Formats: sequence, C-alpha cells, structure tokens
Amino acid sequence: MGKKLLFFLVSFCTVVFMTGCSQLRYMGSVPEESQTRIRILSGSENQELEEIIEECASQSDVQIEMDYKGSVDIMRELETGAENYDAVWPASSIWLSMGDQQHMVKHEASVSMTPVVFGIRRSLAEDLGFIGKDVSVKDILEAIRQGKMSFCMTSATQSNSGASAYIGFLYAMLGKQENMTVEDLNSEQLKSQVKELLNGVERSSGSSDWLKELFLEEDYDAMVNYECLMIDANKKLMEEGKEPLQIIYPYDGLSIADSPLGYVDHGDAQKEEAFLRFQETLLSDEIQSQIESTGRRIRADGVSEKNQSVFDSAWGIDTERILSPIRMPDGEVLMQALTLYQTELKKPSLNLYCLDFSDSMAAVGLDQLKDAMSQILIQDNARKNLLQATEGEINIAILFDDGILDILRADDISDESMQNLYDRIASYDTSGGTDIYNAAARALEEASKYPVEEYTPAIILMTDGKSSYHPEYFDQAWERYGLDIPIFSITFGSADEKQLEELAEKTEGKVFDGTKDLTEAFRSVKGYN
Amino acid sequence: MRKKAVGLILLLAVIIFVGIAYTMKKEEKSQIKVSGYVGGEKIGFLEDEEVLSVLREDYGLSVDYAKAGSLDMMTADLEGKNYLFPSSSIALEYYKELHGQPLQSEIMMNTPIVLYSRKMVVDALDAQGLITIEGNVCYIDMRGLLKLIQENTSWADVGLSQLYGTVSVYTTDPCRSNSGNMFAALLANVLNDGETLTAEDTEEILPQLQEIFGKLGYMEDSSADLFNQFLKMGVGAMPMVAGYESQLIEYAAENPDEYEKIKEDLVMLYPIPTIWSSHVLIALDENGQKMITGLMDEEIQKLAWKRHGFRTETNGIGKDVGLSCVADSITQVTQVPEYKVMREIFEVLE
Repeated sequence: MGKKLLFFLVSFCTVVFMTGCSQLRYMGSVPEESQTRIRILSGSENQELEEIIEECASQSDVQIEMDYKGSVDIMRELETGAENYDAVWPASSIWLSMGDQQHMVKHEASVSMTPVVFGIRRSLAEDLGFIGKDVSVKDILEAIRQGKMSFCMTSATQSNSGASAYIGFLYAMLGKQENMTVEDLNSEQLKSQVKELLNGVERSSGSSDWLKELFLEEDYDAMVNYECLMIDANKKLMEEGKEPLQIIYPYDGLSIADSPLGYVDHGDAQKEEAFLRFQETLLSDEIQSQIESTGRRIRADGVSEKNQSVFDSAWGIDTERILSPIRMPDGEVLMQALTLYQTELKKPSLNLYCLDFSDSMAAVGLDQLKDAMSQILIQDNARKNLLQATEGEINIAILFDDGILDILRADDISDESMQNLYDRIASYDTSGGTDIYNAAARALEEASKYPVEEYTPAIILMTDGKSSYHPEYFDQAWERYGLDIPIFSITFGSADEKQLEELAEKTEGKVFDGTKDLTEAFRSVKGYN
Repeated sequence: MRKKAVGLILLLAVIIFVGIAYTMKKEEKSQIKVSGYVGGEKIGFLEDEEVLSVLREDYGLSVDYAKAGSLDMMTADLEGKNYLFPSSSIALEYYKELHGQPLQSEIMMNTPIVLYSRKMVVDALDAQGLITIEGNVCYIDMRGLLKLIQENTSWADVGLSQLYGTVSVYTTDPCRSNSGNMFAALLANVLNDGETLTAEDTEEILPQLQEIFGKLGYMEDSSADLFNQFLKMGVGAMPMVAGYESQLIEYAAENPDEYEKIKEDLVMLYPIPTIWSSHVLIALDENGQKMITGLMDEEIQKLAWKRHGFRTETNGIGKDVGLSCVADSITQVTQVPEYKVMREIFEVLE
C-alpha cells in the first residue's frame, strides 16, 4: 500500500506540476464539466468515425462535440471567423485554405485519405465492360449519355465529393489535364455537355453520408462518393445478400479527400492544448489503424496487412495502384465553376415549400420563418451560400393551416420574381390548426402538373405542431400520382417528429431540426435539392 | 481510516501544487509576451521547447505566433503584433512599401529552395539526363526540367504511365507564400539563361512564367502544409514539390523513425541553380527588437540548423546534421531579382 500510494502521489504530482493546475482532471473520475470542450466543424463523412472519435476524446481527456456541415459551409464559416468552433475538419484541405483568409487555423494535419470514386452495381459495370480495365470519366459519361446508366451524387456546391466529381467531369469534357480557365467555363459546348450529363443525376444530397444511406434504401445504378463510404455500403449490401458496387477509379478525373483537422485559434491556450492532445491521439498508430479499418487510407503507399481485407479486391479496390488525382483549378476558377453548376448546369429543382401558417406560429415563429425564407428566396442572400436558383427551377409555396391558405408561385428565377414570391409569403398572417398531410398531398398534386423527371423535386415541409392525424390524405395522393418525391421536413416549436419521420421514411426524405436555428435548417434542406 | 488518510494527503498535495502552479503563473507574468506572424515553415522552430526555454529564461520572452504567408502577413491586421517573420528580403521590401522603414530588421537564417520528389520520378528524370548525383546528394538541371514543363511533356512520355497529367512542380501560391515566390524567382532567372532577371528582360520572360504557373491550378498558401501533403499523399498526388531544404532536415530530426522508413523513396533535389530564402525578422516595436536579440543567441542559432535545418552564419555545414542527402555547402545560386521586378512577377501571376 505504502509503495503504491507513494507511486501514485509522485505520478500525481508530476502530472500536476508539468501541466499546471488546470489539468487536475487527468486524475481519473473527474466530472465531465471540468473537461475542456472542443467543438469541431466537420464534414459529414466523419460521422462514421464517431466511435473512434469518442475513444480518442476519452483517451485524451477532452470533450469533443461534432457539428456536421458541407464543405462550402465550412469554408464560409471560416471566412467569417468560425466563432463558434475550436477546430475544423473538412473533407479536403482546399476548403480549409480557401476559407482561412483570417489566418486562424493552425496545427493542420491530414487524418486519413480517401479517393472520390464511382460505385456501379456489379452486373451493370460488367455489362458496360468496366471491369478489369482502366476506365475514364469519358467512358462513364458515354454510358450515361446513352441512357445505360444513371447515378446519384452530392451537390457540387454543398459537398466536397460532389464538387470533386464535378471538376473531374469538367476536365474530362474539356479534354484537358490541367489549367482550366474562366474562358473554358464559358464555352457553350462544354455547358451543354455537362448539363446533359447532370441530367443523369437521379438524386442529389447535401451530404455524402446521407447519399450512401439513400443509396442503400433505393435501387439506383451508381453513385459518386468516397471510397470509404463505398466500402461501408458494400459491407451492408453483402450482409443483405445484394450485389455489391464495383468501385471505379476514373484515371482522368480522380480526386483525393485528405481530411485535414486544424485548430481554429481564438486565443484560448487551454483549448489549444486540449486540441493538440486530441489530435495526437487521433494520429497515434493505434487509432490510425482503427481508422484504416473503416476503409480510409492512412498511407499513400498501400494498406497495412492487418486491414487489407477491408479493402476487398473483389470490389475493384486496388491498394497497390498509385492514386494520381487531377489538379484542382485555382480558387477563382473553382468558385466560378461552382456558381455555373448552381445557376445553369445542375438539374433544376422543383421546390414545393409547404409552410405552416397555423395559429401557433404567430409572433416569434412567423418572424423566424420569414427570415429563413428570405435567406433562401432573396437571391443576394442565397448567393452567399451558393444556393441561388438554377435556370428552369420551379418554386411553389403552399401556405397551410388545417386547410390550404394559398398557393404561390415564382414566375421565373429572376431576382425580382424570387423577391416577389418572398414578399407575398411574408405578407401572410397565421390562422387555424395544422394538417401537414393535406398540404403534402396538395404539393404532390401541384408537382404532377410538371414533367417531374426533368427536375430534382422535393417537398420542403416546415411545421411547428402536431397535425390532426390524416395520413390517408397523403397516402391516397402518393398512390394516385406515383411520383418519387422526397419530403424534407423541418421541425419547429413543438412539431411532432414522429409524424414527420413517417413521411420521410415513406418518401426517402429526411427530417431536419429547425428548433435551434430555422434559417440554418432551411439552408441545409436547400443543399439537398 | 486508510481512505481518509489518502484523502487528506491528496488534498494536501492539491493545495501545495495549486500553490506552486499559482506562483509559477505569477512569475510568468513578468515575461514579455511577443506575438507576430510567421511563415509556416518556421513553426517547428518556434515551437521547439529548447528554443522557447532559452528565450524565456535568458531573454524573458514568451512567444506567440499566427501562421501566415510571407507576403500575406504584410497586409494582415498588425494590431497587437510585435514582429513579422517572413521568409525573404522581398517581403521586407514589401513591408517598407506599405508601412515605411521598420524599427529594425535582421536576417536570422537562410535556406535554399529545393525540390522534393520520389525515387521513381527521379529515376525517370535521370533517364532524361537531368539528374547529377554526388555521393548521396542529388542535383537537378533546372533548364532541362523547364524544357519538359514548357513542352507539356506528360509523365507517361518520360516513362511514368502510372502518373496522370504533365510534368510539373507543385508549389505554394507565389503571390501569397514565400516558397512559391522564391520558386517563381528561380524559374524567372532560369528562363533568363541563368542571369538574375532585370527590368529590361521582363517583357520576354514573364509571359513564359505566367504560362508555367497557369498550369498549376490551385496552390496551397503554406509551404509547411504543402510539404506535409507531399509526405502524406504520395507520389501519385504530388510527384514533385518545391520547398525549403530546412523542411526535410527538420522532419528527420523530429521524426527519426518515420524518416528511416521513407528515406529510401524520398529524394531531395538541389536545383542547379538554386536561390536562397532569407528569413528576416521585422521588429514592429521594442518587444519585437528583443525577439531579434533573443533569436541571435548562439544556442538558438545552433538549434536552428541542427534541428530545423536553417543555415546560419556560424553554423550550416552539411555533415553536421547527419543526413547524407544534405549538401555540404550551397554553391550554385542565383540572386533574387530586385523588388521592382518581383512586383511585376506578382502582378502577372496574380
């Protein structure tokens, strides 16, 4: 006992002495509140690493809070100072360096790497002759052009995997290996080719992780996503006895996400130290090996023997192959390319906003709703987040209580028309009860007036209360119109999440939490469409 | 009873050490905190515990920094900053243009621009007759390399069909960061038949330079980030990058085990000719001047070379750092063009 106690005291004192008095929590069971908390703004692909992150946090005695956003959002957040975050962890360092104009990021280190690849259903890949040979983006585009294949990808303006793939498409269409210029982007021929290609996009998404989940639910041909998420999808497909995806590395359009984790310096030395402890743990051999076991690469020259089986060569993964990515264009050209995607090239959206104008929304709720809509519809605001309207896009607002109050349309996507739609929405007042089913059914009816396959359609349903439960209203319309339109719901106030989850499940949609920040929720939803 | 005793002793220990920590903190208050902007390649040096402890104990300085490109920092917010630590005399000239004569400025240390590459790439370039090897030190003929780049030679053309794209060198943004800036100066001189570019020749040389850089697309802002990416992402992503000699020396000193693993494959190439990057400390106020005095300390200058690879006046003989790929001395060097010419270079590359 004596010896043990002495040892204990000596080590205790050493720790305290070396690290200063704030570090008492090193001594085991210290309440969580005394731990330093690090808020990390991260790309959604890291959601899969949550268990490992938790382990690192506990090993390094730091409390980690993850907040997931798309790459463009992370870039914007950095541009404006990232006040609410202590660290950033985007998919690729390009977003970090473009955003860090205030030089606040330090201790930047790549945590793992994963290439952006195509995953194509095995039998289709076989039919297309893509197995056992080097495939180019051009080959894939040709298959899409001939209608032999459709695919899902994330939004190029919201997510790194979508942006990377899109830049690869542009290079391939330009027949260039580097040096993309603003003039190149103005070429009408390029625009029409890429537009045709993006028409093959079956579903879009603001998040790579959610795209994978969606893919697993539905029967799509192919998706563009990270190799690590393909591996994850394949594991699940195999478990379900379904055919796996063949992973294709297009040699003329490959990108690598290098997953940099950097500290955002707001001048808090204690946080900086905690961050460094966490980062060091994350980069330790033991944790790196665990990260590799999730299908992420930790070295450029292959995969450790221990984790080799994760990277199954039967799926087309070749860990010996040198991954030689394309060069990203410079910042100005990149932003120009993304704007072009958003305003002209992407498949236009068919947006059906169902907005709750029931009595309970009066006062505060209504103000927040108006603010949120102003961020989406007023184009000068939308532009800041690369969420501006696309040529040919349709915007319809269905204002509801327990009935339908009004149906409003933007005449076109001009700044004036969009502003006008906003003004009309903003001039409405609240009344009555709530019925989301009736509103959603009406949205389907409105959608049925358009050739839906030419659009990326979505019902964006915002509600703050529990509805009179009339699911049959919606079910009947769903049957009747047979339209594959996801319902993206936004909860507000005391919304009944269960009802919304049901709708999301039925339509392959998603529920977004708008209770903390309604505007933010609307922006996220818009990124999915 | 035992538990109680343990508890009491623990409590006592806590009290004592909180006390010590508190007094220590108090003592630290008498330290002068100096903060400033630093080029990314010198962060390892400024985080070196030994360097910091000499500064703390012998000079009463506690150093804080924010990372910024050498040129970027000149236009950054200087409020509350005591010093700037860019990596070239050009940055100093830029400072003078914007803010006038600084209180004091001194060259603290130097490091030549080098290229980092991998064995397979160097072998392929060797087959093109571009590589000279003396002992373990490798040199690359810049004129020949530029010719390959200007002719849009693909990697496949030189026998590397595993690599996509054309022969080129990754560099940091020459308008924002020094290593890219110095690399641009070097290329300009090489294009000018090895003579330091002067105002008379810019008309002929700059369009060629612009074309070469135009192919590079997106460029990192920080040489430290670029070097780390080079190490991590492998030959496919970055076949060749421009950087400082100091980066490899520092990496090897800080990560001896990892360096052992990669040293067979990683090659440092000294360009013929090369160019010096001079790390200048610009003192913005008296505390910044104290930083100059502190960094001139002999012990610190020694650490700068041995652990961080910066050649200094009194140190800087190749064999001292124990890496056989480090040249004993740097002999074939061109001068950085004068500031007016460099200004023109920025303008066309912007």
